[in-house]
Amino acid sequence: MKRKALSMVLASAMTLSMIAGCGGNGGADTATDTTEKTETTETTESTDSAETTEETATEEAATEEAAPTADVSSEGEHELSVYAWDENFNIPALKAAEKAYQTVDPEFTLNIITQSGSQDVEQAVTLAAAAGDFSTLPDIVLFQDHYIQKFVADYPDAWQDIDDAGIDWSNLGAEKISYSTIGGKHYGAPVDNGTAIFAYRTDILEQCGYTLDDVTGISWDRWLEIAKDVHDQTGMAMLSMDHSGDDLPYMMLQAEGESQWTDNTTPNLVGNDKFKKIIEVIVQGANDGSIILANSWSEYTDQTIQGDQVAGVMNGNWIIPTIEQVADNSGKWAITTLPTIDGGKEGYAANGGSSLYVTANCTKPELAKAFLAYTFGGGDGAIETYDAALTDGGVITTCISAGKSDVYAKGVDFFNGQAIYADIVEMGSHVPVIQQSDFHYNLRTLVNTLITNVQNGNDIDSEIQAAQEQIEFEIAGSQN
Amino acid sequence: MKTGKSVTAKQKTAGWMFLAIASIMIFIFSFYPMVSALIMSFKTGSAASMKWANPITFNYTRMFQDKTFMKSVGNTFLYLIIQVPIMLVLAILLAQLLNNKDLKFRGLFRTMVFLPCAISLVSYALIFRTLFATQGLVNMTLMNMGLISENINWLGQTDTARFVIIFALIWRWTGYNMVFFLAGLQNIEYSVYEAAKIDGATGWKTFWHITVPLLRPVIIMTFIMSINGTLQLFDESVNLTNGGPANTTITMSHYVYNNAFGTGVANFGYASAMSFFIFILVAILAFINLKVGDTRD
Repeated sequence: MKRKALSMVLASAMTLSMIAGCGGNGGADTATDTTEKTETTETTESTDSAETTEETATEEAATEEAAPTADVSSEGEHELSVYAWDENFNIPALKAAEKAYQTVDPEFTLNIITQSGSQDVEQAVTLAAAAGDFSTLPDIVLFQDHYIQKFVADYPDAWQDIDDAGIDWSNLGAEKISYSTIGGKHYGAPVDNGTAIFAYRTDILEQCGYTLDDVTGISWDRWLEIAKDVHDQTGMAMLSMDHSGDDLPYMMLQAEGESQWTDNTTPNLVGNDKFKKIIEVIVQGANDGSIILANSWSEYTDQTIQGDQVAGVMNGNWIIPTIEQVADNSGKWAITTLPTIDGGKEGYAANGGSSLYVTANCTKPELAKAFLAYTFGGGDGAIETYDAALTDGGVITTCISAGKSDVYAKGVDFFNGQAIYADIVEMGSHVPVIQQSDFHYNLRTLVNTLITNVQNGNDIDSEIQAAQEQIEFEIAGSQN
Repeated sequence: MKTGKSVTAKQKTAGWMFLAIASIMIFIFSFYPMVSALIMSFKTGSAASMKWANPITFNYTRMFQDKTFMKSVGNTFLYLIIQVPIMLVLAILLAQLLNNKDLKFRGLFRTMVFLPCAISLVSYALIFRTLFATQGLVNMTLMNMGLISENINWLGQTDTARFVIIFALIWRWTGYNMVFFLAGLQNIEYSVYEAAKIDGATGWKTFWHITVPLLRPVIIMTFIMSINGTLQLFDESVNLTNGGPANTTITMSHYVYNNAFGTGVANFGYASAMSFFIFILVAILAFINLKVGDTRD
């Protein structure tokens, strides 16, 4: 009996060490496999692709080593370190900024430390804050817009504001800046532009007897008709989305100037007619076969978009490089704005994107602010920075003055000569600022669940009620 | 060298010295985190400013009102009830087959069955996701064989998504358990079988009355390990289905992870509390198993 008791204790100890020791997660394996598990923790977030909206390339890349870290203390006078994560997107933009700033400070170097994904940066901040030691952070971090409000609220000591950097904030997209303005103070300088586009295959539309004008400024009901017609004639869907991180409801509501929130912690779902209508449109489209709700990010990009299953793509403009991967479709695409519920006007929305933030660990805030103001903030180096960022990384600016350069005005062959970059900057200036919430991603998960349940035949009103109750439950829990 | 200690006393001291290093390490890296996780499970707030929950059991009562967590508990038990028995029965049968002395290419077959275990959990989950994608290989094969008329959305529907997870688990872990059974089978004297044969036992009777009872300790061990593993199921839920559709395939550990690291929440207190709930479940199930299985004293 004694031996049995001992073995029980040992067995429990092993189990517990797996649960507690691995930060609260375990796999279907035994103690022998713990090395595999540490890898898992690092990759899991990558598969939750919609959080990593911008980094399609890194989505499935399994990192086997810990992300590289910064050592601010050993830096020179003219050196800044920064975390960023996409070799094909935001890192070229940072390199462009470094080069631009060297015209005023020839000794300046920007030490870009590549992370495997945006979640690495988020975890670095979380861990530094939990340990109460910010010395592991670099001077500047690139951070996802939808997360920053919560991270500033949760860890106010981790950041330094850049209110006095001398940036002309009105020259930057108002909607973009609304994310990085917290408690009336500016914390971030924008890098990219999340303005949503609706890209259509004009050849398919023509084949079915439609033009780009026929799908611009229309109502969603009319859009559903056209989409059904296109689907019946060609078998192609008009739209697809990764349903494991579905941003359609958010974008469609923003185009109405409506939010899923009345304030940061009060959801606005029950009794929100526009929200209900949008859910109905998505479910109707999915049932018609004109909207494909893919099961994962890779299915969304690789199969629906690049596999020629759709005649339309609606997402943040960072989806453009994904569309451009299919060289055969060059010249067949064109971009326009979003439909709206009532029609008769064009819809503008934004989705995803990130900005640069100065951390508490930065010992040279003056240099950091001067650098950000001169380059991404719209200063004298802005045009040089953003032009190179666009050519090298496809990063589109929200800076209105920089969007007027020659590079931006050039037509793009893939989009049949349309000057899409200038168009996107212009569209970005119309995006309505809507109420955001720290619980954006929590609610997104619940709305995805809601859509699936309604698709399976459940009553829409009771599902909306259930989603509202669940998000209220989650908010109440984190506010105790 | 006169220390006044006897040889036995010296040996004892040396023994404790050798033990000390490992013990201290275990205390620092295992027991200390466990205790701090327990303390943390009574706190709320973000990682930087955690405070005691009000009431103190807030996280523990909260999880029982949390519909998503309850759903994840249900999902995990569903996997447990369906997958573990199928897998263990398959593993015993395979072990029995591959233990046959006269079988040719025994080594090759054993390696083939065991090979899935050599694959990282993340990679195999991602490969299964690709195989079972709507335009994936499985659908294509079934289509070309004429078994289905249109692509099945495997990962997009609750039942099929759960099936894929269970199927993947069986594929990944059967060989692993089979190895234990093979080892157990090799400990059974061949003379026992010969005696049974002389007494006129058929193949099935031999299996049921000799192999299974003699394998009992191994069966109990694999059972506990499988229950433990399934209750902590994580990789498949995250990488194969991402918990979807509509959270109907999410596991407990996945939900714990989501609360700690996912969706920018960092609710470590609540996540720790749920981890302790899983721990208690595992302990109870392991205890029942030991009680039921062990008839020695």
